[in-house]
Amino acid sequence: MTTSSSSRRTILDRIGAATALPAAKNSYDELPRDYAKFGELDSDACIHLMTERLREYGADVAQSTPELLATVIAEQVQQSGRQRFVVPPEIPAEWMPAGFEWKVDHELRATDIEKCDGVITGAFAGIADSGTIVLHHSNTEGRRIITLLPDWHLCILNASQLVETLPEYFQRCTQPPLLATYISGPSATADIEMTRIQGVHGPRFLSLILVRDDR
Amino acid sequence: MTRAVMDPTIAPPFPVAALTVLRDTQLRKNVAHATDVIQAKRALLVAEKKDWQQLRTAAAAIRAHALANLGSYLEEFEKRCTEAGGVVHWAADAAEARAIILKLLREENATEVIKIKTMTSAEIQLNPALEAAGISVFETDLAELILQLGGDEPSHIVAPALHVNRGQVREIFARRMGLQNLSDDPQVLTAAARTYLRQKFLSVPTAISGANFLVAETGSVAVVESEGNGRMCLTLPRTMITLAGIEKVLPKFKDLEILLQVLARSATGERMNPYTSLWTGVTPGDGPQRFHVVLLDNGRSQILARPKERQTLQCIRCAACLNTCPVYRQTGGHAYGSVYGGPIGAILTPQLMQMEHAQTLPFASSLCGACYAVCPVKINIPEVLIALRAQVVDQERGQPARWFDPMFLGMKAANVIFASARQFRAAQWASRVGLSLFTGKDGWIHRLPGLGARWTVTRDLRGIPEQSFRQWWAARDKEQM
Repeated sequence: MTTSSSSRRTILDRIGAATALPAAKNSYDELPRDYAKFGELDSDACIHLMTERLREYGADVAQSTPELLATVIAEQVQQSGRQRFVVPPEIPAEWMPAGFEWKVDHELRATDIEKCDGVITGAFAGIADSGTIVLHHSNTEGRRIITLLPDWHLCILNASQLVETLPEYFQRCTQPPLLATYISGPSATADIEMTRIQGVHGPRFLSLILVRDDR
Repeated sequence: MTRAVMDPTIAPPFPVAALTVLRDTQLRKNVAHATDVIQAKRALLVAEKKDWQQLRTAAAAIRAHALANLGSYLEEFEKRCTEAGGVVHWAADAAEARAIILKLLREENATEVIKIKTMTSAEIQLNPALEAAGISVFETDLAELILQLGGDEPSHIVAPALHVNRGQVREIFARRMGLQNLSDDPQVLTAAARTYLRQKFLSVPTAISGANFLVAETGSVAVVESEGNGRMCLTLPRTMITLAGIEKVLPKFKDLEILLQVLARSATGERMNPYTSLWTGVTPGDGPQRFHVVLLDNGRSQILARPKERQTLQCIRCAACLNTCPVYRQTGGHAYGSVYGGPIGAILTPQLMQMEHAQTLPFASSLCGACYAVCPVKINIPEVLIALRAQVVDQERGQPARWFDPMFLGMKAANVIFASARQFRAAQWASRVGLSLFTGKDGWIHRLPGLGARWTVTRDLRGIPEQSFRQWWAARDKEQM
């Protein structure tokens, strides 16, 4: 910081002079926040909305009961036609059906993760209004790289983790996350003539299993 | 296609640059199509959001608050980011920012660098500086890649290649990637970009990004994107350098609940963009283990000092104002001679240039106010345009060159003429006699010589009637008596 420390002072002084007028100051707590903080939908409608949104983005959505989850995962993995999977260090063993190659991410190298065909993770939350899956990259959600390089991301979300609106997700964050990724559908672009094309650099395929732990 | 000049210090004035692009019918078609599509999507999503106006009010208030307290929030950001293992640098101007980044890259022995789309880096003309220093730059956003390979310049803040159509992309990719049999299907072109960049993501150890938001409370940085190229650059390299304007700071993490709701809807007409990443300094074992933030002033603190103009810095770069602007929709972005085009560019660029360049931009507007109506952070762009026009006129005051400016001379003459009724009548008589020479049998003036042609080249002018209102009124009084 040797070269820029004098610029630091210069910039902060300029800002200080520019914002010296007390009329411009206002208290953070008094700022208007009159937008909707809560959704209006019940649990079924919320799940319906999340499903609809993600399907609009080209993602695949299935439901399961907690009891049947392992079976549903096994079916999906089987149907995917993929063989090698990476998983975060702390996902339940029953999420990894036999007969496939499972790489548990204990600091795997990028080149090894790149060789995996898919990844299975949990999630921190889901936001139905925008069809968003939230990862805070805990040990059930995995490092950022494992949900990035494989071409298929299968994500498991409990209905109890699903909220309707973005502000409701923020209410669930008792502590701000230091790492977070908000995923709304598979990787996409509209840079050529505003035509939405799925699958650029991130996973080209996204599947979600909603676990009905709410009934 | 000649390369557009995007350096405001040497770019031609807007009216001159606009004439060139207005003759490019392909470009106009591409721009009109793209802006129509985004606008239609945005309109649907805004209509379904019942609390849209409340969100705008909250977004505007939080941005204005952050600016009013900018110094303390920046210091808080610096403290938190540093605690989390990041290194914060301060750059007073573009040259210093380039020097800092170059120094960091040299310390890494970098010969290659991958980049996430950042308009701020275009503002400081980073790529040419890096290339000159022998560092190869790889743009990874699809639009930026199209421009880089095509030797072209960005024309839109969010979709920088929106002036290029699929056929043109096909031609560029076929030529630069050596793919002769490429089709012009966007799906195929996108796949070509994926393959082209994949190895770069996995091998280049240094990346450069911009920032959509800096969070003071936590020292976190947020990047909003669609393709996953951002996540690649934020996750795979060893070293990450983020260049951010000082105005990008938000007080708290929770403020993102407002701004993320308005940004994607305004920018791309999506409820949420496919990927948003938030990171804080360095996370052991996850992502780059060396992280630098370069905080850029480059004229921003001077904008902050002017009460009406300050709101310019509230901008979150959604480009909704570009898409709706009747001027931008005709000219596209290159005419603005700056990476920041459209209404926001018309107010931001001359101010970043400290009103020494780009003085024609505040006049590149009809002041219709469409930009203000769509702005998610309620920047009153027409108000700032007028304030900047006043600054430009003030600059011209007392300059001898004014006495050669026909507009100025005309205004001076009008000043004299309007001062007395006698002179006004004489001027009316003179113009009736003078213009009668050019008035056709149908009572319209179709063509005028000299400066008058500027009007008649696009419109007809009604001839001056035989009798003025005053004459008619006087005659009417006589009849009644």
